[in-house]
Amino acid sequence: MSKFLLLTVREIQERLGQKGFWYMLVLGPVVVLLILVALLKAADQGKQELQVLIADPGQIMDHRLMAQEEKYIHYYFIDDYLELTEFEKGKAYRDFDVLVELNEKVLNNKKCFVFYRDQLGFDARIQLKFEVERRLEELIAAQHSSLSAATFRQIKQGIIFDFRDLKDPKNESKEANAWAGFVLGAFILFFVGLYGMTIFRATVREKSNRIVEVLLASVRPQQLMLSKIAGIGLVALLQLFGWVLMLTLGFVLLRETLFVDILDPSHWGQGGPERLNPLSTLVFEQLNLPFLLLHFLVFFAASFLFYGALFAVLGARSSADADGQQFLLPLIFLVSFGIFAGIYAIYYPNTTLANVMTYLPFSSPVLAFITLAKGASVSAYTTVLLSLVVLLASALLLLKLAGRWYKNSILKF
Amino acid sequence: MIKVVQISKSYQRKLVLDDVSIEVAKGQIFGLLGPNGAGKTTLIRMLNQMLSPDAGQLYYDGQLLQPSHLQHIGYLPEERGLYKNMEVRAHLIFLAQLRGLSKAAASANVDHWLQHFDIQDWRNKRIATLSKGMAQKVQFIAALVHQPQVLILDEPLSGFDPLNVELIMNEIKALKAQGTTIILSTHNMKSVDEICDHAALLHQGTLLAQDSIFNLRQTHAKGQIFVRFKGNMLSFANALWTDFTLLSQHEPAEGLFECMLQIRGERTVNDLMRSLQDQVAVEHIELLLPSMQEVFIDLITQKEHQDV
Repeated sequence: MSKFLLLTVREIQERLGQKGFWYMLVLGPVVVLLILVALLKAADQGKQELQVLIADPGQIMDHRLMAQEEKYIHYYFIDDYLELTEFEKGKAYRDFDVLVELNEKVLNNKKCFVFYRDQLGFDARIQLKFEVERRLEELIAAQHSSLSAATFRQIKQGIIFDFRDLKDPKNESKEANAWAGFVLGAFILFFVGLYGMTIFRATVREKSNRIVEVLLASVRPQQLMLSKIAGIGLVALLQLFGWVLMLTLGFVLLRETLFVDILDPSHWGQGGPERLNPLSTLVFEQLNLPFLLLHFLVFFAASFLFYGALFAVLGARSSADADGQQFLLPLIFLVSFGIFAGIYAIYYPNTTLANVMTYLPFSSPVLAFITLAKGASVSAYTTVLLSLVVLLASALLLLKLAGRWYKNSILKF
Repeated sequence: MIKVVQISKSYQRKLVLDDVSIEVAKGQIFGLLGPNGAGKTTLIRMLNQMLSPDAGQLYYDGQLLQPSHLQHIGYLPEERGLYKNMEVRAHLIFLAQLRGLSKAAASANVDHWLQHFDIQDWRNKRIATLSKGMAQKVQFIAALVHQPQVLILDEPLSGFDPLNVELIMNEIKALKAQGTTIILSTHNMKSVDEICDHAALLHQGTLLAQDSIFNLRQTHAKGQIFVRFKGNMLSFANALWTDFTLLSQHEPAEGLFECMLQIRGERTVNDLMRSLQDQVAVEHIELLLPSMQEVFIDLITQKEHQDV
């Protein structure tokens, strides 16, 4: 076995022998899935089961609401006013979550009160308003004109101004996708930062416990540095694969259990699936996940080499962990810069600065994923590939330079 | 076996080795001596190819020192370090493999040395659980597990209790007997006196002296003689005349005296014996050679006086 391989295998064995690795392997995806479930559930507030009592003393609605009622909101009517204290405390009304009070002149004064026991989610409010309003619109149209409800709504509806990029008139590059790409790119930097810190700490530890002097009597410093980056990088990849596997299983499980209605159009409310749950639609429908994952691996490897060399050099220049924290600060700024560059590029995608940052190795992983997630055109994909070439070339150059810096620093105790 | 020819090295314009030349013969125990900051570690790192000289050459067995020679060199650095999470046997095998041994050979050698030092019970212990002395022993094994032809030991005795010092000293002697060339850097001058054949003394990057231990001690002998005799102290003192000065005297038993004398002028031990032969019964007479500690101090002091 070559010395490089020996060192790399030892590095891998050490990481795999640590409980922290296995905890992270399991806990990481679990936490991500829990956050995702929380987000999906939060975005799914409209689907909370609601029992709505409509107090309609004027019997304006005629005990009727929509032709097709929303399955999660159930409406009941009484033909009289109801005291709030009675609604709140009366045994007969205990099962109702919401009281909609329609006064007799509601068609004229256009004001109705909605009293709730627990806060209503955003979607629930919209849905409830939408369904009551549509019925009232029918009644208003019938009372004041000979127009059909549909014509009345058409007249009532304001004109929508849809701003679109001339280069993307079909609006194919959606902003939500861009944010999803941003999250993936930021995830690369997060992982690189996380395991870069491991490289840093491992280098400092080897230096401070002086094993480095024993090792350097057998291997070249560059070999030692590269094996460390490779070993820890492979462990990071292994963890990443574990995460991807567990997250994929988790997504499938979520789709089959908690979010079964995502692909079922009969469950879509007004406005299609986006209206029902934009986040779940984005995750499950709009992103080309295999395509993104493939690029994720490539960009991850290139970024890891680039940042890994920097972290290793900083470790070699530090004589103790505490000492190294000062050196780490600029590196954390660089990682943060990549993330801020991504946010900037979402809002100002065609500026000169955004174009420059596309090729900067510090920010290119995030910007590339924003482009990829939006569904890259041929020219945009060429830009992504070019930025990858620049990133790889920078990583190789930096590894060469870092090898020298590492050699000059590692034996200075 | 090892030849250092006119080596110079600077760090940030500070000269740490200045035109140093040293030769270590095969099978020798060579003491590399000098106060802190003398340049010993720099020279040792060069021999291990961790550093390159600015000028000069290093030779291994007549060839310019090359990376391939590293597998024939063992190194125990002064500042020891091991991976704390690794087990003793696995760690030793790992280090032996880094020195070029196959896994099978490394395993066999490690088992041999663990048995040799009677520490087989430690084989599966994690390094973190070992005491300092135990870890030192593991490191000593790590330095020689690949059966090097040249063994460089930097302060090999530090951290050991007296029993283990004895053990390591005997091991070094045994290695020498097997033909291993040993370079020993130490501040423990007693061990230099005891086991080194040759020594070189470095001071502030320059070579002050290099010779066999005997020659170094003889060169720095101060002409002092130890005499033990039976008889009369007055007769003894009279026999010295003006050729020898009595420095001290001690009477360990009735009529038995031990004295320290200082030779004056060109007199020798033979002259003293001739003067004493009819006066007292000499039991023991010895020209005292300085210890390596005294040689060390003497050389450093001389150099510092010269510099002043």
